[in-house]
Amino acid sequence: MVLNMDSTIPIYVQIAEWLENEILNENLKVNEKVYSQYKLADMFTINPATAAKGLNLLFEEKILYNKRGLGKFVSTEAMDIVLEKRKNHKLKGLLKEAVQEAVRLQVAEEELLGMFKQILNESKGE
Amino acid sequence: MNVIECEGLVKKYGSLNALDHISFSIKENTITGLIGRNGAGKTTLLKILAGFWRETEGTITVFDRRPFNNLEVSMNSIFVDDMMSFTNTLNLKELLSEAQAFYPNWDAELAERLLGYFNFNPRLVHQSLSKGKRSTFNMIVGLAAKCPLTIFDEPTTGMDRAVRKDFYRALLKDYLLNPRTIIISSHHLDEMEDILEDILLIDEGKKVLQLPVDELKEYAVTLSGRTAVVMQTLQDKEVIYKRNVDIDNCSVVVRNNFLHGEVKQLGINVSPVTPSDLCVYLTKGQGGGIDDVFNKSKSV
Repeated sequence: MVLNMDSTIPIYVQIAEWLENEILNENLKVNEKVYSQYKLADMFTINPATAAKGLNLLFEEKILYNKRGLGKFVSTEAMDIVLEKRKNHKLKGLLKEAVQEAVRLQVAEEELLGMFKQILNESKGE
Repeated sequence: MNVIECEGLVKKYGSLNALDHISFSIKENTITGLIGRNGAGKTTLLKILAGFWRETEGTITVFDRRPFNNLEVSMNSIFVDDMMSFTNTLNLKELLSEAQAFYPNWDAELAERLLGYFNFNPRLVHQSLSKGKRSTFNMIVGLAAKCPLTIFDEPTTGMDRAVRKDFYRALLKDYLLNPRTIIISSHHLDEMEDILEDILLIDEGKKVLQLPVDELKEYAVTLSGRTAVVMQTLQDKEVIYKRNVDIDNCSVVVRNNFLHGEVKQLGINVSPVTPSDLCVYLTKGQGGGIDDVFNKSKSV
């Protein structure tokens, strides 16, 4: 549960992703209160304003909702939104990068698909 | 609410402008990192804020008052650096209990706990401490005073890495419990950037920029690749720093205000610039880099 301070990804996005993972793992359930900005600041040794920015990101994406004076809570649709977002943005982005590298290395389509299937099978076997 | 308002501030030493018409403001209950090269004017600025030194021109208000010689500002602020002088007639423990009389919010329990945690012998005098220990003690005073405006000028001088890490963590934890306005100047931006909210970068007495740390992280990117290709893409970009890796390759730091996709497609590598490196690039003089000093055959 350590942030990667040297990563390209801004800290507040990493906080948002960490919370998304907590939702995916069901450590945070629907209608459950999420950590406050101060708690997150303490947990990760970051400025509370940075933590608030991470929380706000999830609020804007409707993964969290606000209860006035009580804090932020996991929305009913949270899981679906996170899954959808991870698929369409993160996974697609990673695949795109892999394809671009394949093009640079002049790997043929069939070879690339073969590699892809092999990796898929390997990870199924685990 | 702004705790500090500064407009066209000038500090002259003879004919030199140590501060050159600097204007900025600092919000209440934020942690700001004051960053700049040696001689940029950091200490001068902080000492004026604390009311120790008098400004030459311009206006400066701290808690809506001019800080110089102002009792109210003095009472509500503390300035911590490695030159803090304490009497030798009192030992460390006595110093801490005397401090209580000067600071209305003094947290005696925190001071004592920190003194114990950092393994101080409470019967020593301040002058007998090593450089790092002295900085650590001063930091304890700075934290325990709980002043609405807390200023640390190079607080980590001489501290080893472990103590520095503890200091940043202690500062953050105490800030979470007792929010207050904190300004820290330091050369260790990479170590403390995560606990900061804003960064104020100054150079030659002028403000270069003031931004939330998150935005500073996304302020610029490095483009690296074949010089010919990289140069092609620079027309519509704001170049901050340029370096030739070898004859054919170069890396260029540019403002991050364009879409990376098309650049990447040309085979150019786009990588982030750490705030710490960015501050160095932004304050580099026009004289080129250290390499030029060694480059005798330079023919420009």
